Parts: sequence; structure tokens; C-alpha cells
Amino acid sequence: MKLDPDKKLDIEEVLKDLDQYRPRRRGWSWRRKIADQAVGPFTYKDSSAALKNSVPLPAAEYFDNIDPQCDYVITTEISSGRFEDDLRRMRMAAWHGADHIMVIRTTGQSHIDGLIEGTPEGIGGVPITRKQVRATRKALDAIEDEVGRPINFHSYVSGVAGPEIAVLFAEEGVNGAHQDPQYNVLYRDINMHRSLVDAAESKRIMADAGILQLDGAHNANATAKEAWKVTPELLVQHAINTAYSRAAGLPAELIALSTVPPTAPPAPKLRLDLPYAVALRDLFAGYKFRAQQNTRYMETDTLETTVTHVLDTLISRLTATDIQSTITPDEGRNIPWHYNNIAGVNSTRQTLMGIDGIDEQLELRQDGPLQAQAREIKERAVLFLEEILESGGYYAAVEAGQFVDSGYYPERHGDGIVRDPAGGDGADTVVPRQPGYGAPVCSHFGDNSYAHGNGKPCDDYGGCSLCDHGKIQYIDELDTGDNVARRLQTPLEERARGLLRPEVEKHGDSIVCVTLFVPDSPHSAEQAALEMARHMNLKNPEVISRRVMHPAEGSLFEIKGLLDVAIDKAFLPQPAAVALAAEAEIEAWVRPRDIHIVAATVGEDEHSVGLHEILDIKHGGIEKYGFHCHDLGTSVAIDRLVDRAVELNADAILISTIVTHADVHKQHMQRLDERVRARGLRDRLVLVAGGTRVTDALARECGMDAGFGHGTSGHEVASFLMRSLRDRPGQ
Amino acid sequence: MSSLDRPDDFEARRAPLKSMTDEALHARFWELVERIVAPLIEEARTHTSPAIERAVLLRMGFSSIECKQLVDRMQQRGLLGHGAGRLVLELAKSKGMSIRDAGEALLRGEHSGEHWQALDTIIAGDTGEQP
Repeated sequence: MKLDPDKKLDIEEVLKDLDQYRPRRRGWSWRRKIADQAVGPFTYKDSSAALKNSVPLPAAEYFDNIDPQCDYVITTEISSGRFEDDLRRMRMAAWHGADHIMVIRTTGQSHIDGLIEGTPEGIGGVPITRKQVRATRKALDAIEDEVGRPINFHSYVSGVAGPEIAVLFAEEGVNGAHQDPQYNVLYRDINMHRSLVDAAESKRIMADAGILQLDGAHNANATAKEAWKVTPELLVQHAINTAYSRAAGLPAELIALSTVPPTAPPAPKLRLDLPYAVALRDLFAGYKFRAQQNTRYMETDTLETTVTHVLDTLISRLTATDIQSTITPDEGRNIPWHYNNIAGVNSTRQTLMGIDGIDEQLELRQDGPLQAQAREIKERAVLFLEEILESGGYYAAVEAGQFVDSGYYPERHGDGIVRDPAGGDGADTVVPRQPGYGAPVCSHFGDNSYAHGNGKPCDDYGGCSLCDHGKIQYIDELDTGDNVARRLQTPLEERARGLLRPEVEKHGDSIVCVTLFVPDSPHSAEQAALEMARHMNLKNPEVISRRVMHPAEGSLFEIKGLLDVAIDKAFLPQPAAVALAAEAEIEAWVRPRDIHIVAATVGEDEHSVGLHEILDIKHGGIEKYGFHCHDLGTSVAIDRLVDRAVELNADAILISTIVTHADVHKQHMQRLDERVRARGLRDRLVLVAGGTRVTDALARECGMDAGFGHGTSGHEVASFLMRSLRDRPGQ
Repeated sequence: MSSLDRPDDFEARRAPLKSMTDEALHARFWELVERIVAPLIEEARTHTSPAIERAVLLRMGFSSIECKQLVDRMQQRGLLGHGAGRLVLELAKSKGMSIRDAGEALLRGEHSGEHWQALDTIIAGDTGEQP
């Protein structure tokens, strides 16, 4: 499957022959850091290879559109509930620099005792099934070819079906997964014995498949009352999962600690968060780090959230990480919208490129409060571990409520999470292995009568599914009502008809967001804002963010609502399709010919910015190709333009109509055509109009040879002029 | 909720740690962690669960639906501790069938039927008891 940057991802092709698809590689891919890499006018210290296709940061326009890539893997979390829509979001994210796609699971999958099959729709995430995973990996293969960088696909090996999901991921080429039995115990109330016993099997499978493991300690941040006080316990949780993983066979290079700076402003964030970050990296030297951005203290203001995440990213660079995860700035409001995945990735890469090489300029102080506080957190963590052992071990400590207590350990508030070792989902399901117990498969942990010195445990029957992919049983769909084919009927039909709807999450969701300031007290302003949204024809308007500017002077609102409109592409104005000629070709043809162009902003119009951008050499305008440009200024009468063109023996007239009243821009174009015709010059003069309201089709209707709208470059205009003049009879 | 409410007595508790070098403190940290994890990993080495056994059958070429049914039935019969995959493989060997045929025979068969009875013979060999 090959993608064309100008075409939408073909979901039908993704779904075709999925039973035959095999992952083309296994294991995790890191970016390779290139020291002192020259990109455009700069040399970067912390960068990696460029992409084949990408969308640079907006300000890159000022630096030859460079798109330097940082050396950290960048994560985005994707979770619309429909994987077929998520694939498009993944493609957009990859173009903006994400290479770790973390797919959130549907609510409640942790408690499903077995694998789910088919493609049912999820809530807050997708049901992780073989078909969904396979289709996603297949699409990501094509996307990584398009951008030119490996993309890591990631989901969760947790819940009561962990080992089966681990097998599925190993078979299907999933590259990373969360696996931490403590998460099951504390947050999912899954029986501790079941969680721990299952986890060893899952980890062993992940180890052999090269799947990078992320732990679950960051969840303690997200749930703690005062997140900066949970730091000693975070070290403990990281350590328990890490030591358990090593014992189950995971090598250090496949163990990534999932760590979040605990606080957000107005808390003194760096002073609180850096000591923990330093303590963690000291204690876990040799392991990988996955730095998450803060979700604990995020509200609905996306700018505030973005600033917190920039500071989180700064902490990552100051203390080192391997993966920088991004959180969408709207996560405090709703299930993330796709363009906010892009926003999160962009603010992160913007930060990382902006602080490139900071290690050469700054270092963390080795004396003073930072190191003292890091030491204190470590000592508190050691005391925490001692109490676990004094309580009688891990199970007893959880039962005694030692975990996720809101006190700053050894302070205890008695509000920790308490779990009964004999209770929870899956209680009483763990059984001792009997004499002779065996499992004739690869990647099995623990006592196994088939694990003998020579050969594989699966040799007796020609190899397990990890050795012989042909053994995998592929189930397509089980539910005739809830599946991707059903869900795609309307979107594919609308796409075929050329209909477009706004969306933020899923195809055709029709959600739009408007920003309104209303100059009144908060309550009345909010009611008025909603009423205004209804007047805009938005259905079900809902305030998703409110910010008081002043209690009496007014408030700012962001309102989402449904705009139930499908636009038919066939009736949209078409852009001027000017094929760019090579710059050298234009100049070689133009410069020796002494071509004069007369230009002006016409009508009652004092705005000449657009025209300058097209003409001036300073702005990359057509002068640079050797056209002699005569700018007559603003508010120029059409007759004067034509007179001057005659005097100069010009070859073309350019008019700009930026600000228009009613159809006055049309009249100017028609008048120019008429006046030139009246003097018998229409064959000699190329006529071009530009302006924000001008389209090529409109300009041609009004007698021009071409029209150029907003965003036109001098290069486009020069290409058009050169071709028109070159192709004139007699040339 | 735990009943334990304790003030921050860190200054008193840290006394034995205070004089340790960073290296010694790090070593102490990891030594404690290893002691906490040791009994947990020992339990995992010597125990199994329905999810583990389903994951074994999955690797042997059964679908998720077949794995679930086979493991549920073995669990009801108290056979999981012998290893679901092992029982299927040894049944296949004893009957001269492929493992898929052995699994399908178990899925189709009654608990009182020939194939399920054969599993009892297989596990009896482990302890020397007669079925």
C-alpha cells in the first residue's frame, strides 16, 4: 500500500486482504541523534534525520521552510473510538513529527476476560482487537513510508487478558505497550495475584518481541490529591515494576519509566518538579525514560495547558528523556480533538527545537537545594520500601492502604487505596502449576516441562504462532451491526459525492468551535454567548471554556456546537492552478527581453501590501526575475494605468483590489478589460488581477487573463506571466 | 480507607539513612526492591491463570474464541494447573492427531466423552496415580 500526499488515505484499501497482512518488522525504533547537523541556516545539536514529507512549524516560513526534527521520539495519544477515523489522525500527526502513536483502549476493556474481535466502536478509545491492530499497523506502514521515518505503534497490555493481548501484539508487530500490574491493582481493582502472575507472562512475551514497556506510575500523579507529595511513592512504583520486569526477562533497554512532572503553575513548578526528575534519573540510570506532560492540573484553557506542557518539555531536556509524550491541550475539556493532537505535538517540537543545545549553555547545579531535595525524595522512598517489607510484603502493604496516600511519605493521611489480596476482578483464578505442568510455546515464563536444553518448546508440532505466522487464526467480524463496514457506509458515500462537513474527531461529526467575547457580567455574558451561537445555526451549543476578563467588563467563551451542513465541493471556487516554472528558467527568459509591467492598486483603495509582496524583490516578488515593474501606487484610475502602459510599451498590467465594497472589484476588472480593448491593445497586454476576494475563475469572467487570490507568491505570478508572454503569437 | 494517620516524621526516621553516600543509598533502595519482588516473581514462576493458559493456546494456533471455551472448560474441570496447551498437545500425541484436531475434539466433546477422559489419563501419569 502506497500513499499519495495529495490523496486521502484509502480506508477500503487498508481493510482489503487484511487476513493476508503480515507486519514487516518487529520491535521499537528510536530516532538516531545526529550531532551538529546543518539544517538551512542553522546547525542543530539535538536533532535527528529529516522527514521526506512533513508540515513545518508556521514560523519556518522565515527560515527557508526548514523542518528540523528533534532527537526524542514524540508521542501522541489517539482515542476517538473509531479506528478508521484515528488512522487519518495518525497520518496528520506523523506529518507534524509524531513517531509514537499510542492508541487508548475503550472504557472497560481491562475487565473483559479474553480478546475482543472485529471492529466494534469504542468509548474514549477503541476496542483493541486483532483486526483493528492489524489494520492500524498496515496503515502505519504506509504512513511511515510517506514521511520517511519508522512509526511506533503502542497500546496497553493490562486488565485480565494481559497475556493474550501481549501475544496478539507480538504477532501483529505492535512496538510498545504499557504493562504494569500495579495499575491493575490500584486503579482497576483487578485481583493482585492475578495481575502479578499474568504480568510475568506478558512481560516475557514482550521481551522476546522487542516491545518497549512503559510503566504505569504516572497514574499516581493523575489521581493524587497533591501530586507533588506522591513523588517518593512514584520511585517505589517505578522500581517494583522495573525489578519485576527484569526478573521476568525484560532487558533494561526495553523498560521505559513513565514519568510526569507533578505540578503546574501557579505552583512553583520547576522548583517542585526538578528534584523528583533528578532523583528518578539517578536511581534508574541505564533505563529509558518516557516523559509525559502534566494532566493533573489542567483546566479548559488550552493556552494555559500549553504553557505547562512547554515547561514539562523543558524539564525533559534538562534531565534527559528518550520519549517525549504529548498531551492534547484540550484534554481538560473533552476527548481530544484531532487538531489538538497536532497542536500538542507542535508545541512540543517547537519547544525542543527552541532549546536545542541547551546543555552547552546551562547545567543543573550540583550544590544547593536541588540536590538536597532529590536526596530527600530518595530517602523517603527507601523508608517507603522498608515499610512495605515490615508490613509483610507488597500484598499486605496494599491491603494496609500504603499506596496513593495523600501524605508526603512517611506522612500518612489514611486515605490510600486499599485492596483485598483475596478480592477484586479475577479473584481465585490463579492456580499452582502441578507436577508435569507445561506450555509447549515460546515466550512462556516460569516452570515449563517443555523448556528443555535443546530446541524450542514448540518443536513437537512444527512451531507456535510466534515462530510460524501461518498458525494465527484471523477473525474478521463477529458483530454484523457494529463494525467498520457499517460505519463507513455514510462517510464513503458522502466522500464519493464530494460532500464536506466540519469535524473534530470522527468523520461527519459536524462539530465546530467558535470564540466569543461578550461584554457583560459572567452569567449574563454566558447566556448571551449561547444565544449568539444558536443564531449562528449551531445545534446543541455548549460552553467548553470560559475565562473572565473582568467581572463587569466581560468574559471570553469558546462554544462548541453542531453545524449540520454538507458542502458540495463541485460548487466551490477553484484555485488558480498555476504550475510553477523553475526560477532559473523564468529569469533566463525574462531578463534579456526588457519586459515592462505596469501595476497599481485600483479604486478607492489605500492598501498596497499585497501588491508589494507580488512586485518587490524584497518580498520575493517578480522583480527578481528581471521584470521592470512600474508601481503607480494606490487609488489609481484605470485610464491612467492604460496610458502609462502605452507610454512604456508595457507587456502586462497588474491590478490589485484588496478592499472591496459590494462588487466594485469586479467592475474594476471589467473596466480595465474594456479600456484596453477600446484602444486595440488587448492582444498585446496580459491583464492580471489580484486581491483577497479575487479568484482565477472570477477574474477570467471579468475579462482578465488570470486572477490570484490570498496567499499568492511572486513565483506563481512570474510563472504565469513568463508563459503567457512566451506563448504569445510572434514569440 | 486505611486508618493510619501519621504526621511527617521524616526527620526522625531518616536518621539511619542520613550518613549514607548516594551510592550506598541507591544500593539500599534496590536491595529492598529486590526483596519485595522476589516472592511475587516466585509466585508467577509456580502458578498460572486462565489468561496465561488462553495465551498459550493462542500461540498454538487456536482462535480467541476457541481458547476461551477450552480454558473455561478445563477450569471447570480443575485442569488448568496442568497446562491447557500441554493437555492439548499430549492428547494429540496419544491419539495420533494434529493439535488442531485435538483441540476441536475437546471443543465438540462432552465432559464424559473419550477425549476429556483421556486428559485424566495424561495427568495421572504426572503423579503416578491411576485415573
